[in-house]
Amino acid sequence: MSSERGLENLTLSRRTLLAAAALLAVPRVGMAAETISGPIVSLDYGLASTLLALGVTPAAIASLADWNTWVVEPKMPAGVIDLGTTSEINLEVLASVKPALILTTPYLAPLKPQLEAISPVMELTIYAEGGEALQRSIAATRLLADAIGRRPQAEDFLARSERFFDDCASRIKKLDPPPLALINFVDTRHARIYCGAGLYQNVMTRIGLKNAWTGTGDYWGFETIGLEQLATLDQNLRLIAFEPLLPPNVLDTLQDSPLWTSLPFVRAGRVSVLPGTLMFGMVQEAERFARTLLDHLEKFA
Amino acid sequence: MNRIETNNALGAPAVALTLFALAGLLAWHQLAPDFSRLFQQEAGYDPQRLLLLYSTLPRIATALLAGAALSLSGSLLQQVLRNPLASPSTLGISAGANLALVAVMLAFPALQGLSRDAVALFGSAAAAAVVFLIGARRGFSPLALVLAGLIVGVWSGALAAILVLMNDRYLSGLFIWGAGSLAQQSWTIPLSLLPKIAMLSVAALLMARPLSLMELGDSGASGLGLSVRRTRIAAVCVAIALAAIVTSAVGVIGFIGLIAPRVAQLAGARHMKSQLVWSPLIGAGLLLLTDEALVLLSGASSTFLPTGAITALLGAPLLLLMLPRLKAVQRSAPAPSPNAIRAPRSTRSLLFASIPMLVLLLAAASFFGRAPDGTWSLLAYLQWSDVLPYRLPRIAGAFTAGAMLGVVGAILQRLSGNEMASPEVLGISAGATLGVTAALFLLPAPGMAAQLGFGGLGAFAVLIAIFLFGIRSGFAPERVLLTGIALGAMLDAFISVLAASGDPRAMIVMQWMSGSTYLVDTSKAVSSTVAAAIGLALAFLAYRWLDLLPLGPQAAQAIGIRVNYARGCLFALAAAMTTAATLVVGPLSFIGLMGPHLARELGLRRAAPQLAGAALAGGSLMVLADWFGRMIAFPYQMPAGLVSALVGAPLLLVLLMKRRRTA
Repeated sequence: MSSERGLENLTLSRRTLLAAAALLAVPRVGMAAETISGPIVSLDYGLASTLLALGVTPAAIASLADWNTWVVEPKMPAGVIDLGTTSEINLEVLASVKPALILTTPYLAPLKPQLEAISPVMELTIYAEGGEALQRSIAATRLLADAIGRRPQAEDFLARSERFFDDCASRIKKLDPPPLALINFVDTRHARIYCGAGLYQNVMTRIGLKNAWTGTGDYWGFETIGLEQLATLDQNLRLIAFEPLLPPNVLDTLQDSPLWTSLPFVRAGRVSVLPGTLMFGMVQEAERFARTLLDHLEKFA
Repeated sequence: MNRIETNNALGAPAVALTLFALAGLLAWHQLAPDFSRLFQQEAGYDPQRLLLLYSTLPRIATALLAGAALSLSGSLLQQVLRNPLASPSTLGISAGANLALVAVMLAFPALQGLSRDAVALFGSAAAAAVVFLIGARRGFSPLALVLAGLIVGVWSGALAAILVLMNDRYLSGLFIWGAGSLAQQSWTIPLSLLPKIAMLSVAALLMARPLSLMELGDSGASGLGLSVRRTRIAAVCVAIALAAIVTSAVGVIGFIGLIAPRVAQLAGARHMKSQLVWSPLIGAGLLLLTDEALVLLSGASSTFLPTGAITALLGAPLLLLMLPRLKAVQRSAPAPSPNAIRAPRSTRSLLFASIPMLVLLLAAASFFGRAPDGTWSLLAYLQWSDVLPYRLPRIAGAFTAGAMLGVVGAILQRLSGNEMASPEVLGISAGATLGVTAALFLLPAPGMAAQLGFGGLGAFAVLIAIFLFGIRSGFAPERVLLTGIALGAMLDAFISVLAASGDPRAMIVMQWMSGSTYLVDTSKAVSSTVAAAIGLALAFLAYRWLDLLPLGPQAAQAIGIRVNYARGCLFALAAAMTTAATLVVGPLSFIGLMGPHLARELGLRRAAPQLAGAALAGGSLMVLADWFGRMIAFPYQMPAGLVSALVGAPLLLVLLMKRRRTA
């Protein structure tokens, strides 16, 4: 049963893939899929976790030191080499890895010539004008899999994720949860609220959750707001604040704010803090987001 | 101020009333629909009442208080320093508080209350001390003081931004706060501001009489038995405290403290007492009006616009307009101190001795470092082909760009007779940065070439602007520099707005601003080397101008130099070299400031040896900074500009203090 439904979804998303692939600047990978053998390096967290999902451990990634703060899950296996910050990838270290393929995003476009001097580069577009993050992630996963000869694994992974999202959707139907407002505190007066074309909103749409915030945001999928703007939303909402909390005592500080404490959803205790999920990630992060969110929502059922 | 001092009794109140009326109109537009609910508590949840009571009204109160405090601070500073351009923004006081707060809050994010005020006070006092220290050596000349203040301000702003950037990958709370958002959710901030500002205002009013006596001039005031010195210090302290407290509460609100006192004065409040009353009221009205307009605007466009950065964006051009009002004080170079006249230790042998040192440094930077696994090692011959292609261009780029910046700094410092002059303050770097920003936001995925092209265009545009402004003033050096730094302040505000929006592309701009040699490849290194060679050669050809122009325009003219022509040529050369260096290593480093000072410390005082020394010192410092940046947190890299700024700022202060004692 479930596999049938999965297949249906698969064909559907193949069609969307074709559309998406036509929109994407299809990367030039200067070799046949099978010939890539050797270390693969990722300069983007989302692409790195997608590699893990396809059963490939990257030889090196950028900003390994912060992986456990921003991505958390899946764990990065030991032995992966740290390439330094995304803004200044350590080229000496990168070259010493002798990568067979470097995965990157348009965010690092200025670096491309230097990267191409080291090894073939594959640039995959997730966060850019005019696209939906989740659909683009799915398309990019297939393109990546083709490049490294792991298409079957990718189809498995994507089918599993579609089944997982379907499962989430049916769990949500049973829950009938309130609309959600998803934020990261940036200080005691402001927050980022997620919406629009970003990964969080895409997943919510996919599994049938309602976003209390209806703004459009930018292509990264968020807006910066003053906390007072939460007052005019549908007060049945549940507020989900993702870690890291900044400043760490923000929720205590807010107890002194009469506006905050009179918000009905605050009074009713519908404020949750969830561990961080990379908001600029790909399918793995989408799954982690849906999983942590649903596990949490079901506690109130 | 050679106009007859008429104290128009009605002008200032009229302006203040108009501002309040306008602001009130906008505020009422926001308040009116729900105002009646304020007095009738309904049973259920009433979001409109809640917002009115705990967001809109406290925001209005905060805007009024912050505007009044900053304007009072500006009035005091302008009066005490007799400087119509003095203000918390133009003297770097707000930015200093901001930098201190950012540095401390990165370690203790939960910093609140009095300890927070204390940190802000420390920062603004430190910034003011630096500015006054430099200003004192120039006899508190208004232009020199404001120049030093704006430089300290722009540096503090940029450093604070980079510190945040290095620590916070995706979140930007400190940016928002640093950009001066007035959004409120309770009465905490206005209520905590009120008593502090009230106390300081009382102190200021108590000083009104002694301060107005000082309008008679220092001697007149002393004749009346007034300790001029003590009154000045007290007034400046009150002004600094006012700015620090506002910054601690809501971040940097740019330029209100400059504009309001000026408006008050133009409206007729010229005497001290009327200034102290009307300037804060006008400032309060002005900030409220700006904020209410922003609320309307951002409500319509749903973008987040921090008020403080917007006032700075609006205020910086006003500063440009006000520049011509300043009396031109052409100063010749300060009398050389005794050890300047001391027979120059054979400068030639000093320069020659430095060449083997330089070779050693370049070799060490190329071959000594950390291997990919992090261990310290000398580069084995077998690895040369793997590693040197990455290291050599960076080292070459760092050295040549540093040398160019050093030479530009030497040229500008000699031209303006101002030891704080440096390439960054020409505004060229700001133009280049704006160009790069435009490339990032206009093109979908701008490569290096596009960024360079846009950066070059931006720099060129500023160059034209400098010349248009410069021709009018006969290239009076301090005026040219002030124009540049005002452009820089505007850029700073623009970047603040961008960073506060949280758009990840802002991070790329910041990275570019942090002065990194990271993107230097072979072709860039080669072009930088060529540019440096040509630029240095031209600078040396102009050494006679550089020796003679500091003697003052009359003296130089008497020897047969066409002063305006010579100045124009030197500024053009400086601008071209700055553009080249900026495109290689970005706009921010202390190199152009430090190179000439180091050269002078080594006893190189005449133009040609100082140019050579500044080039060598600048280049070497940049190579060192680059090396440290690559090694400290390996494999993570710190931009050379940041390293040199962090190390260079204190070093520069030590040099300046030392020379002050010997002078």
